[in-house]
Amino acid sequence: MAFEPKELQKEIKYEEIRIYSDAELNNYTEEELKNFKIKHDIPDLDDLEKGPWPSFVADAKQGALHRRKLADDRMLIDRDVIEDMLGQLQISFDEGETHWKHGGIVGVFGYGGGVIGRYSDLPEKYPSIAHFHTVRVAQPSSKFYDSNFLRTVCDLWEYRGSGLMNLHGSTGDLVLLGTTTEQLEPIFFELTHEMQVDIGGSGSNLRTPECCIGKARCEWSCYDTQDLCYELTQYYQDELHRPAFPYKFKFKFDGCPNGCVASIARSDMSFIGTWRDDIRIDQEAVKAYIAGEVVPNGGAHKGRDWGKFDIQKEVLDLCPTKCMWMEDGELKIDNAECTRCMHCISVMPKALRPGTDTGVTILCGAKAPILEGAQMATLIVPFMKAEPPYDNIKEFIEKVWEWWMEEGKNRERLGELIQRATLPKFLEVLELPAMPQYVKEPRSNPYILWKEEDVPGGWSRDIKDYRARHKR
Amino acid sequence: MEELKKAIIEFAESSKKTKFYFKDIEKAVQKVNPDAKMREIKKACTALINDGTMIYFSTGSSTMYGLKGRGMTEDPE
Repeated sequence: MAFEPKELQKEIKYEEIRIYSDAELNNYTEEELKNFKIKHDIPDLDDLEKGPWPSFVADAKQGALHRRKLADDRMLIDRDVIEDMLGQLQISFDEGETHWKHGGIVGVFGYGGGVIGRYSDLPEKYPSIAHFHTVRVAQPSSKFYDSNFLRTVCDLWEYRGSGLMNLHGSTGDLVLLGTTTEQLEPIFFELTHEMQVDIGGSGSNLRTPECCIGKARCEWSCYDTQDLCYELTQYYQDELHRPAFPYKFKFKFDGCPNGCVASIARSDMSFIGTWRDDIRIDQEAVKAYIAGEVVPNGGAHKGRDWGKFDIQKEVLDLCPTKCMWMEDGELKIDNAECTRCMHCISVMPKALRPGTDTGVTILCGAKAPILEGAQMATLIVPFMKAEPPYDNIKEFIEKVWEWWMEEGKNRERLGELIQRATLPKFLEVLELPAMPQYVKEPRSNPYILWKEEDVPGGWSRDIKDYRARHKR
Repeated sequence: MEELKKAIIEFAESSKKTKFYFKDIEKAVQKVNPDAKMREIKKACTALINDGTMIYFSTGSSTMYGLKGRGMTEDPE
């Protein structure tokens, strides 16, 4: 099925709107780079370049030299911005303390997110980074770019910003690092009007939703991740740009349980493609794998000789629920026991495929903070159809938001609220019955809390009477 | 809407603080106007932002609201 854009897309032609000529973009020689010293002494940063890995310091030096050699009127913020950034970083290494201040009222008109104010607390020493704001640019679904788009963003950022960027942030955005307050509105105008791209989310709002490559290129995708991601992004524009949540909220969309965007670990609401019928088996292809006629794992590990493919050792024995076996030369699966681990499908993609009655599993409450408190998501909806216009999914999302916005404390993520209020409470709010899928294993699940009306005959309990007999 | 806007401004002006979480605004508005719904309060806040009475303050991870010109400068504290 060919891609059809939902609205008219402007074709970006870099050659027509480029800011810099090739000569300006390649304005220094290897020799000059080798002898280049920035204006500050940065011994520890120089040291970082010596390791085996590519270094951001080397990249930053290239940017600094490039800016040194550009004409004055070819950039709108200070020439020394990268050099000062490196200089301040060295001071931070020396002192073991950061000199960045963050937060403020910078932003573009009407938006509460997408721009993060950043300032140096040593503005006299490093004047060009006194203002060094970050702009988050929403990535296209699955990060489908073409070089026209990327080159145009790079030109824009060299002209109106520092030229430093970070692709991609954890939420998938293009992170443009370092510009001044005056440049924000012009950057926003050019991104939205010339390039048809929005700025992403930051602060207490819906963050830029992110999806895997989905049906665009992956045969395992159980729903159209890009379509759902785009639809919810458009539908919840207000939540994305006008923050009124207790804290951040992230959606991520994985097309199958392989989870290429790791939604289960990183998003407050994770959508993972699944199926509720049987895994499709092509018995002839199974035989071909066993006979060694087809390379396993889609050829992913073929760089080394791993010996003959052993279906028992490499597939059947590794099934977490042991629901597969060979019988009279045929592969059998007890589908009711399958936990959708995707291992067998990933090893033998020609022989096994997800079922055809597909939809999403919804999990809630993951977070991945930098310092502490990482938490995996909890299964909430084992299966839901995911077809346009996705009203069932929107209804679910809004029930969750309503409760979280009502009950959540300031800076409390959904996962923390579920833990504080208990899972049964969350299920009650969502009007969902407790399901066997919530139980990880018998007798070890902490989520059972009885209410008096649930128990025939109820109970009465006098806490004072109890305490009279049981000391604390 | 006008009533809600008034309540928000009154709360923001009377408080010692200069920046407010949305939840705190919501609670304060519901104290004087118990029937006010969260979404309506949010819309009132957005209207105040759009007419320039209020401004967002964002740390990058969380966002707060404040009255323009009252203890809120472009530089962070």
